[in-house]
Amino acid sequence: MSLLGAVAGGFVGTVVLTSSLRLAHALGFTRMDLPLLLGTVFSEDRRKASVIGYAVHFMNGIVFSLGYAAIFYAVGEAGWIFGALLGVVHAAFAGGALVNVLLPAIHPRMGTPWSDAEETPILEPPGFMLMNYGRHTVLGTLVAHVAYGAIVGGFAAGL
Amino acid sequence: MRKDGYLPIRDYAAIGDGRTIALVGKDGSIDWLCLPNFDSGAVFARILDDEQGGSFRLAPTEPFEVERRYQKESNVLESTFRTSSGTVRVTDAMTLAPGEALVPQREIVRRAECVSGSVRLAWSIEPRFHFGVKPTRIERRGKRIVALSRGEALGLGAWDAGDPQVNGGRIESEHELHTGETALLSLAAAHHEPAFFAGREDTMHRLAHTERFWPKWAERAHYDGAWREPVLRSLLALKLLVFAPSGAVVAAPTTSLPEWIGGERNWDYRFTWLRDATYTFDALETLGYEDEARAFFWWIMHATQMTAPRLQVLYRIDGGKEADESFLDKLSGYRGSRPVRVGNGAADQVQLDVYGDVMHAIWLHAREHGDLGGETGRAVAKIADYVAEHWHEPDSGIWEVQSDPTHFVQSKAMCWVALDRAVKLAEAGVISDRAEKWRAEADAIRAWVEESGWDDELGSFIRAPDLRELDASLLTLLLMDYDAEEDRLRGTVDAVRRELAVGPLVARYLGEDGLEGEEGYFLTCSFWLADALARTGRTEEANELMAELVALANDVGLYAEEIDRDGAFLGNFPQGLTHLALIGAACSIAKAEAA
Repeated sequence: MSLLGAVAGGFVGTVVLTSSLRLAHALGFTRMDLPLLLGTVFSEDRRKASVIGYAVHFMNGIVFSLGYAAIFYAVGEAGWIFGALLGVVHAAFAGGALVNVLLPAIHPRMGTPWSDAEETPILEPPGFMLMNYGRHTVLGTLVAHVAYGAIVGGFAAGL
Repeated sequence: MRKDGYLPIRDYAAIGDGRTIALVGKDGSIDWLCLPNFDSGAVFARILDDEQGGSFRLAPTEPFEVERRYQKESNVLESTFRTSSGTVRVTDAMTLAPGEALVPQREIVRRAECVSGSVRLAWSIEPRFHFGVKPTRIERRGKRIVALSRGEALGLGAWDAGDPQVNGGRIESEHELHTGETALLSLAAAHHEPAFFAGREDTMHRLAHTERFWPKWAERAHYDGAWREPVLRSLLALKLLVFAPSGAVVAAPTTSLPEWIGGERNWDYRFTWLRDATYTFDALETLGYEDEARAFFWWIMHATQMTAPRLQVLYRIDGGKEADESFLDKLSGYRGSRPVRVGNGAADQVQLDVYGDVMHAIWLHAREHGDLGGETGRAVAKIADYVAEHWHEPDSGIWEVQSDPTHFVQSKAMCWVALDRAVKLAEAGVISDRAEKWRAEADAIRAWVEESGWDDELGSFIRAPDLRELDASLLTLLLMDYDAEEDRLRGTVDAVRRELAVGPLVARYLGEDGLEGEEGYFLTCSFWLADALARTGRTEEANELMAELVALANDVGLYAEEIDRDGAFLGNFPQGLTHLALIGAACSIAKAEAA
């Protein structure tokens, strides 16, 4: 088991996760644009926001890989199947809480279910399992996170 | 006041909070409320079923006369009930959250103040969650009463309003108020959250905050022309239709209020029509509400991502593209007008005019704010390419006819508008430059409209080459700066007035549309006519028509989609497009008078 492997897996996994979500976006399965959602926390300029968003997203990918590594060490086991299972939990957490509840709560430009007539946010909230961005978003998110988890698990186990 | 258990549609007023709307009847009954959002299931739907729909009633027990108004430039409603023994003023509002306080997700507050004598008030709440399809139970929690259904809850707060009793599916009470006394009711909704039990002081604080917010919002309006009062009321009505969490604007907050009593023309309008984009964006920008305009613009850009470059006619307010239509057989419909629909099948129609409306809105946005961003700019260029490839196809047109698709002249003209604006955007460097191709196609469309869309005998553009009759939507050629000879545009305005208007009322068209039965006069078309008159230099006629139309509003200044010859409102209510058309006409008159 290797911490460095997990971190490297986090980087590669984030590339795969981002690319697969981007592909789903391009194919019209989802309107979710994670770098834009993250970047617009810091800037209203869409170009700047996308750049910042990608940086934040990759940083998150590395941080999460450390969390995966901690679980691998605690359990004493790593591997692509275990990683993929953690990816399922990760997807449920991301869709059910992280992006659905926590991001709108801190995002200065995103609506929440509590936004009322006094507010004029310019980004719609993701909704449960991010389904406001298209019903297939939940599937895309799941597949992307399972792939991420499998890669982190595989890299951590030294493939 | 009620006929067969139903109030006339014009007897309703709307209160809202930017997420949903309640319709308050002249007799003090709240007969429509969807929770938590505009497009959710209704908990009060008495307007669609007098017996099973559910309502929140509050009125004197003895016979009364009622006078209503909105508090000055606000969406807080005041109804003054006069009885033989005294007068009570009821204030109805959906509250907004003051600051960071813990507040209910949605809340209706009803405050009754006895201003003279004494008045015995009766109130009752019959909640029927999810249109009454799913069971509702009512329980006591200590001194409080809560109504529940699956993940939904309504917590009741009642102060100086009698001793609430639960009788079957109803919470009710009576209480006598004397001069200077105030009763207060709060109905707080929770969606997938614990029920919220409001305190009296907090409720009063939220109501006071809401009463302060609306005039402050309305005073930002930049409008000094004639018809200021109806313009401001329309603006406030429009703001009620903005879904704050996403920036989308619903066409109307109701479903299935009929376009003809007893007819089948009953549609769900709780969606956002892209067609309204231009008018909404223009109205908000012109009147100084840039934040709302910008939020709506970006909502359009986000919502259309999954279908672009093809644009759907309508989208859900959360940006979704699904609008599957089904019938609520359990509800009897407004005065027996069935079916009651949820969802809207028009989402699947091809309506080419939408492209003109959206591209014009994009152009207006770019003119005000410049750059769209590279990705959005490329997406917009692809929409223009799509129009260039598909304009020659038949469609269902602006009126969403159910008859076979045909070549509607208005649709073609709006395709010209789409390509013309694309050329302007390209020339301004905002989108990819394929201006030469787009200009060539625009010229081809113009040639088609001039050749096939004109009738010498009528002296007007026509509905379609195979439907040689008038269509009031042709007035939008003027509104959208379609490039035609002035004589032809003027001739079309005259012909619409001659063939489709009865006094101030204008029919959409008189011919076939694939549906059974009749419909009322379309109020938007009346305001478009006033707008077109102003744009063709006939401001005096435009002002005369506006005066007649403004007099047709209900007692609180709201309009439905349609109206019959007797002045009865028909169709969904309040109707965003009607109010947008009023604002547009007033602005055109003001501009013409200033010129």
